[in-house]
Amino acid sequence: MNKVVHYGLLGTFLIFGTGCATGNAGGEPGALESYNRAVFNFNYQFDKYVLKPVAEGYRAVTSQAVRNRVSSVIANLKEPISAGNLLLQGEPVDSMASVGRFALNSTLGLAGMFDVAEGFGLPQKKTDFNETLAKWCVPSGPFIVLPFLGPSSPRALTGMVVDYAFDPVFWATYNDANVRAKVNYSYAAIKAVSMREAALDLLDDLERNSVDFYATMRSAYIQNQSKLRCWKDADSNEATYDFDFGIEDEDEIFDEMEAE
Amino acid sequence: MKKNVLALFAGMLMMVSGIAKAEINDEAALKFVRDVTNDGIENIINANISQKEKDERFAKLFNEALDLDFIGQFVLGRNWRTATPEQRKEFIQVYRQLNISTWSKRFDEFKGKNFEFKGTTASNSKGQAFVNSEVPMDQGAPAKVVWRVREKNEKFKIVDIIIENVSLAITARNEYTAFIKNNPGGVDALIANLKTKI
Repeated sequence: MNKVVHYGLLGTFLIFGTGCATGNAGGEPGALESYNRAVFNFNYQFDKYVLKPVAEGYRAVTSQAVRNRVSSVIANLKEPISAGNLLLQGEPVDSMASVGRFALNSTLGLAGMFDVAEGFGLPQKKTDFNETLAKWCVPSGPFIVLPFLGPSSPRALTGMVVDYAFDPVFWATYNDANVRAKVNYSYAAIKAVSMREAALDLLDDLERNSVDFYATMRSAYIQNQSKLRCWKDADSNEATYDFDFGIEDEDEIFDEMEAE
Repeated sequence: MKKNVLALFAGMLMMVSGIAKAEINDEAALKFVRDVTNDGIENIINANISQKEKDERFAKLFNEALDLDFIGQFVLGRNWRTATPEQRKEFIQVYRQLNISTWSKRFDEFKGKNFEFKGTTASNSKGQAFVNSEVPMDQGAPAKVVWRVREKNEKFKIVDIIIENVSLAITARNEYTAFIKNNPGGVDALIANLKTKI
């Protein structure tokens, strides 16, 4: 086990390079920014003409109760991903709880439509391999926008790929290439539409109020990721959003933040 | 000599601990945020009054509870320094209106929701603290909402709201800095653009 962890760590460090820029919300190299903005615009158009209309249609023909059942089924199918990663994060008890949740919700919860496990005192504890890598102190690397998939980082992308190893949908369809493609694409599409529907109001609002939507999304993504901490800092009480917020010596602060 | 070094060391320690100690009453800060959110939920969001009345009450509560002069100055970043007094004033004014109109439209999302307070966290900034709260959601884990509170002249003001680790002040600052950098019109262009959003 230890060996696996070590090789895994070594591999990721080799991929990212240890000296790679940490994700702060400050400046961004010009070339990377140009690329990111281009992909962001592509995704924006794709969203505007394809994903968002579909999500709006989905909202129009379903009730909130139905949509809640759909998102519960998806959440349940992701439970093994959490279970596996909780183990990798050194949380065997939570990992077992997650396995228990999957067993209970898949059966008594009618294929995950209802979260009955929470009633049995097993609350959801969602996690993934990106969070595992963060806990292993792997830096996120620079902010990158992926075609179709949106805001990400080398660490998050690695996490996404590795999480397939825990995905029950992937394994259930593994033996039949034909079924595998159909099921996995449909599953990905349902996940995308369900997630997009849940974010309709929030993203509309963000976009309406934003003077630079890319800058807003980038800042929010990086800040949100910074809540994932290395195990060594897990007990640190320091808030990641605690920047120097005093006005008396404003010049100094602004110079400092620009330099970041 | 040794004694002197020790004394110096002790003195430094005292100074450091004196600085590190947040000069803010944590309990009072938490009570302040709780009162503000209760007021907002009971007397505005859940109140049986017209939308117009709600908007008016909200604007009043917003202006009393948040220190927009302080936040506005922060979000403009280094551009604050080069801005003229008129630009500063106009920016704060527009930023205030934008925030009020944005939140007013979202009352419905907060219907039936309530904040569960989870103590406070110290800040490195003088006279400031973070008040931690959670909002239970219909599905999944509760949303984490943190309120940054500043105490000045024995009065509390909210200077930032952090939702799921995303600070509204930092986000706005990054956004506005990027906009000004890419626009020859600078702060005036920003103000004009924000005006179209109110």
